[in-house]
Amino acid sequence: MRNSGAVLILTFIAKLILQAAGVSPPGKPRLTSCRSPEKETFTCWWEPGGDGGLPTTYALYYHLENSETVYECPDYRTAGENSCYFNKNDTSLWVNYNITVVASNALGKNISDPVEVDVVYIVQPNTPENVTAVVVHDEQGPFVRVSWEKPRTADTRSGWITLIYQIRVKQEKDEKWEEYDAGMQKYYNVFSLHPDKECMVQVRCKPDHGFWSEWTQTTYVKMPNYIPRERSLWILITIFSIFIVLILTWTLNVKRNSMKLCLLPPVPGPKIKGFDKQLLKSGKTEEIFNTLVIQGFPPTTDYENLLVEYLEVYDNEEQELVLDGKELSEDFMKSKSSSDNDSGRGSCDSRTLLLEKCMDGREGSGSDQHQYSQHGETSWASTESSESQGAEPGSPESTDGRAKTWPVVFPQPHHHYPVGAVKPAYHNVPEILNQLSPHATPSNYHQLHHQDIPQQELRFSKSACRHSQSYNQFNLDSIDTPAPGVPPLPSLEYVEVQRVNPENMLLLRPLSDPNREPERSDCTGEDYSKVKVVTSHNILLLQRDTSHQCVDDYSQADQCTTQQPPHPCKPAVHQWNSVMPQEGMRVMGNGYVDSTVLMPSF
Amino acid sequence: SENQRLFTNAVIRVQRLHQLAAKMINDFEDSLLPEERRQLSKIFPLSFCNSDYIEAPTGKDETQKSSMLKLLRISFRLIESWEYPSQTLSGTVSNSLIVGNPNQLTEKLADLKMGINVLIKGSLDGQPNIDDNDSLPLPFEDFYLTMGENNLRESFRLLACFKKDMHKVETYLRVANCRRSLDSNCTL
Repeated sequence: MRNSGAVLILTFIAKLILQAAGVSPPGKPRLTSCRSPEKETFTCWWEPGGDGGLPTTYALYYHLENSETVYECPDYRTAGENSCYFNKNDTSLWVNYNITVVASNALGKNISDPVEVDVVYIVQPNTPENVTAVVVHDEQGPFVRVSWEKPRTADTRSGWITLIYQIRVKQEKDEKWEEYDAGMQKYYNVFSLHPDKECMVQVRCKPDHGFWSEWTQTTYVKMPNYIPRERSLWILITIFSIFIVLILTWTLNVKRNSMKLCLLPPVPGPKIKGFDKQLLKSGKTEEIFNTLVIQGFPPTTDYENLLVEYLEVYDNEEQELVLDGKELSEDFMKSKSSSDNDSGRGSCDSRTLLLEKCMDGREGSGSDQHQYSQHGETSWASTESSESQGAEPGSPESTDGRAKTWPVVFPQPHHHYPVGAVKPAYHNVPEILNQLSPHATPSNYHQLHHQDIPQQELRFSKSACRHSQSYNQFNLDSIDTPAPGVPPLPSLEYVEVQRVNPENMLLLRPLSDPNREPERSDCTGEDYSKVKVVTSHNILLLQRDTSHQCVDDYSQADQCTTQQPPHPCKPAVHQWNSVMPQEGMRVMGNGYVDSTVLMPSF
Repeated sequence: SENQRLFTNAVIRVQRLHQLAAKMINDFEDSLLPEERRQLSKIFPLSFCNSDYIEAPTGKDETQKSSMLKLLRISFRLIESWEYPSQTLSGTVSNSLIVGNPNQLTEKLADLKMGINVLIKGSLDGQPNIDDNDSLPLPFEDFYLTMGENNLRESFRLLACFKKDMHKVETYLRVANCRRSLDSNCTL
């Protein structure tokens, strides 16, 4: 016990001293690889683990797997430094070798890890030999034929070892090698090489179960400069097609516009007449809507202008119906009139239009009528005012061509019109006549009678037209007193203006008997020759009608019923449908169809 | 000739068997866990293979000196020694190798054995088949069947021995083939 303890202490001290001196036992060696080039011999290499500062010797020991006999390496030199070469006699196949290396120096030794080796599986042949590469000129084009020989040590002849080969080719300035497997043959043809370039070739081999050999030294071969025949043909074709493509492109470019038209015909965009897209984009709604408003639509000619003071209807020899709506319109155009749409037109009332004939004075009308004619609007206005005072619905403003106001008037019989208001109020003639029936005058005029209307001169158109027979419907004076200047009317047919449309068309209806009740006369289904329509050419179109003519309201039957006895209206409604003239349709300037023409003329 | 064709055929067959054996053991080693690998390294040196008792050349010179008949006979015995244990062999490897028929390996060995037998008869060429101890029943027939414990180690040993024996037969047959006729494989 003491001895062992002393030994330990001494060993420890010795180690310390040795470490201080920088010497130590050798490091552990390591077997790196064992290789057999021909499956007959083999060599093992190791690397030292550090000599520990002292000269170190290495020894390799082995034993076979089925014996315990340990042998030492027979040859340390043949294979070089730190190697062990096993010759044929020492090599046994299909037997595992357990090999270790021992490193030893003055201080100690070190043993490597054992390695199990079976020679059969560590075969790595030598490189192939005599690699040659030649250029072979063929009709298809030149190629390179590479040939070589087996490594000298490999015994393939007896079949002891079977080798397969591999070559790799690289042309100058290429980055990668192209590898080809050659199998067991000892030559190879390399195609698809670029002309006028240098080729580098290398070969290696491998046994059927083993490791690849190293690559041989590079063999150089220079490809000749040639142009492959196939390639030249393709080049020609390519150039030609490119040329054609260029020409086509240029042609297309030149004809670009016509091509566009041909392929993509312009699609007509929606257009609204008078609609300005730019205006819409600008976002000013007022302007947009203003543009939508067609000037002159709806026909906003002053209805007042269409008021005719009197209408001369000539019968017998002097049946000359002259209508001068235009003159009227000129006079009264100045008056302001708010234009409404035509919806209000067509009330049951019938207007009496006084058509002014461009004649000098009236026969028998006397100076009074002249006077009347002078007043024009003013008188009219005054008449209006006077009429308004009367608070009678039957204000004699029937000359006003505004049909729109007519409906307004009737529901408000006591409506007062302000003085100067140009808005005419039309009364339903029949109603008026109804009211005025007790005041029927023997005058030949079918007039709107107003009770309270003073004896005022009715307005006449400024240009007093000659009329053989003054047909002053608004001659209120004549209601109470016989018109001084009103000559007795011969047997004439009186036409009552039903309405005046914006086109200065007088829609007339004749009155058979001025003395009788207008209403009745209206309603009797007598045969009247009525004025169907007054064209713009101052032509009265007469129509013989046998049916009731009472109703003139074709669109507002209800008004008729309220204002007139229903009986005349109803049949008239039907009648209206039947006598709807087709030719009466007039298309006005802006495409507006004047349906007023469709009014039945009685 | 017909014999030549059979020889070439036999060489091809044994080459395939050897490749199969190599793949089997590689797959087996790849499937091992690290600790199992450590365990496996400790079994080296390998214990005996069943075919160790069969006297076979272990070097090129020895092989070259052996007659073709001897080589054929040795090959025959080697193949025959694996015919029975190959069933156990199939169980040790994954099914990916032996697809379909699990007895595929056994059948291949049987076929090869028959072929070698034909070659032997052909090389005998009328001479009586003087088998010394080749036809004796193989000792340690249950050699591989006795392994119970430590299946890992025994499986590996089984696979390693199989691969080695196949390589032996391949080598012998190749040499015999090249000696018989200068085949293209030999001259190249």
